[in-house]
Amino acid sequence: MSIAVLGVNHRTAPLEVRERFAHAAHEVPKSLARVLSAGATGGVLLSTCNRTEFYLAEPQESVSDAVWSVLAERLADGQRDAREYGYMERDQDAVRHLYRVSAGLDSMVLGESQIQGQVRDAWESSRPQAGPVLHRLFQSALLVGARVRTETRLGTGTASVPSAAVSVATKIFGDLTGRSAIILGAGDMAELAATCLAAEGARVVMVANRTYERARAIAEQLGARALTLDQAWPHFAETDIVLCSTAAPHAVVTWERVAGPIGARHGRPLCILDLAVPRDVESSVGQLENVFLYDVDDLQSVAGQAAAQRRGEIPAAEGIVNEEVERFWAWYGGLAVVPALREFRDRLDQVRAAELERALRRFKHLSADDQAQIDQFSRALLNKFLHQPTVALKDAADRGRAYGLLEALKELFRIGRGDHDA
Amino acid sequence: MLVDLHFAALGLYVLSAALALAPFWGQSAISRNWTIGTASLGAVLHGVGLLELLQVGISGVVPTLSVLAWFLVLLQIVSEVVLRASTVALFTAPLAAGLVGLALLLGLAPGAEPSAGRNMWFILHVTLSVLGLALLALAFISAALYLWQFRELKAKRFGAVFQLFPPLERLDRLNHVALIAGFPALTVGVLLALGYARRFAGGLHVDAAQVVWGSFTWVVLGWTVWVRVARRWAGRRAAFASIAGFAAVVLVYVALKLAQPGTERLL
Repeated sequence: MSIAVLGVNHRTAPLEVRERFAHAAHEVPKSLARVLSAGATGGVLLSTCNRTEFYLAEPQESVSDAVWSVLAERLADGQRDAREYGYMERDQDAVRHLYRVSAGLDSMVLGESQIQGQVRDAWESSRPQAGPVLHRLFQSALLVGARVRTETRLGTGTASVPSAAVSVATKIFGDLTGRSAIILGAGDMAELAATCLAAEGARVVMVANRTYERARAIAEQLGARALTLDQAWPHFAETDIVLCSTAAPHAVVTWERVAGPIGARHGRPLCILDLAVPRDVESSVGQLENVFLYDVDDLQSVAGQAAAQRRGEIPAAEGIVNEEVERFWAWYGGLAVVPALREFRDRLDQVRAAELERALRRFKHLSADDQAQIDQFSRALLNKFLHQPTVALKDAADRGRAYGLLEALKELFRIGRGDHDA
Repeated sequence: MLVDLHFAALGLYVLSAALALAPFWGQSAISRNWTIGTASLGAVLHGVGLLELLQVGISGVVPTLSVLAWFLVLLQIVSEVVLRASTVALFTAPLAAGLVGLALLLGLAPGAEPSAGRNMWFILHVTLSVLGLALLALAFISAALYLWQFRELKAKRFGAVFQLFPPLERLDRLNHVALIAGFPALTVGVLLALGYARRFAGGLHVDAAQVVWGSFTWVVLGWTVWVRVARRWAGRRAAFASIAGFAAVVLVYVALKLAQPGTERLL
């Protein structure tokens, strides 16, 4: 009776390793089958850009070698052994690990909600190989994630710079559907923020860069029009959001360049998000009427506030996780008590029967009635001996504390190993 | 029963105000269904009370205060359901509670014109005029929220106001809709007053103060609509216009009321 998780995550492995370990959905059954064949009754593979984890039910010692071997095959030559990037948790710690993952407590961006969908997807794609215990475990993990998000504020606010940019734009415009955006420059951050804005329904209509060719390359990816920087300024009159991320060593968006077009906006707000370092936009631009200017520091402050708020929710979230781990473990412990007790009784009854037979061979002069009396006596004695441990174990199972006792029972009486030496 | 229903509505409006204020005091945000449900239940009880009030007539200061409070809460619910402008309740709920409280304090008795108070022309005149006034108040509230959020965004303060207030554009739209809806309501209300005066009172029973305030309010509301629609004012400028207009309407009323005190007539 055991559950284990083996894998790597964003804390133990760099991106270039994690991306090699990542499994596409179609690769999951094959890898899981290999691991399960090494000795486990069920398995689920959770693979995202931040983690690759094998959750296993009843794993035998040889399983960990199989997991590291499956992962090691994906590493490039010269990279370290997969085991060196990994970790392993067992039993309650493994359950707690999954619950923390599902709640977003183990995510790179604390409290992010995407992971819950990924946990669901992993469970769905591994369902044929999961087995009843992991089925129940993943079902409960999704409920834990939902409970943490409902009962705490772990998932509220925005915790990264691109999402903070979206949050600020949303506070100005409300629904971003149909809002137009211009990207100045070809920085990665602006591209990422543009993707976030597009996900909210905003349209990136133009990409302007110092060199036209680079602008065209990004514009094609985003389905936008390419411009040079000088061609972009008049378009400030009609656009809603400007994302700046040029590599210029000085401010390219000056007061003069914005003040002219802004007059034609009839009071409509213009949101300028300056993601460049050094900054692309003169700070005086922010003083223009209805112009809302935010630089990286401002957006980090928005993200930081949300992150701080989220960090304050960690104790409450951990409390829910621990409570649910106890609940699961009570169920899991109870699951194993009845078969273990049955085997325990059978084993002792075999000892009783063998010893009785040996004794009766020496007392052949006894009548059949007397022998029956002795048989009855041995049974009563065994029942007396077993009564207290049985009650204690069932009581412990009801309280979710059976695991330790069961393990002791198995160890002391060699239960569940199939080696009868009585 | 009339008083009991008003007391029940008052309690629910106070609760609604507390629910709206709770997140600003560091409490967890209350479910939207609760805030809408509390205000709605208050509005239903209040509405039943107003139906009873109709039996005795709705002329005078006290019934007008009660009707105004009821419309404010209805507009709060509509703003929250349609535009998700939940923080409107920050203003409307305490204001409605205050108006109902004042009505209870002054005594829920009919005014000086019981016959007029039961006349359908008069009832429609009061209802539509008060609705127009409530919409002007809603425009004022959305404008105040707009300027507050605007100031926070410009100053790059990302605290409770940034987190909890609706987006600027949504507040601007609420202001626009309130003015556009308020102007025809008030216009019909004023026309009904003219019709009532001619048909039933022979055009004799109208105080100058009523004419002055009614006309002034209509002109102010008309002006704010004109600058928004014809002059295409939006955002901050439109917000200032709404606030100035509402303040002027209230100040003129207070001045006229001070000149002619009493609760039997609105003016």
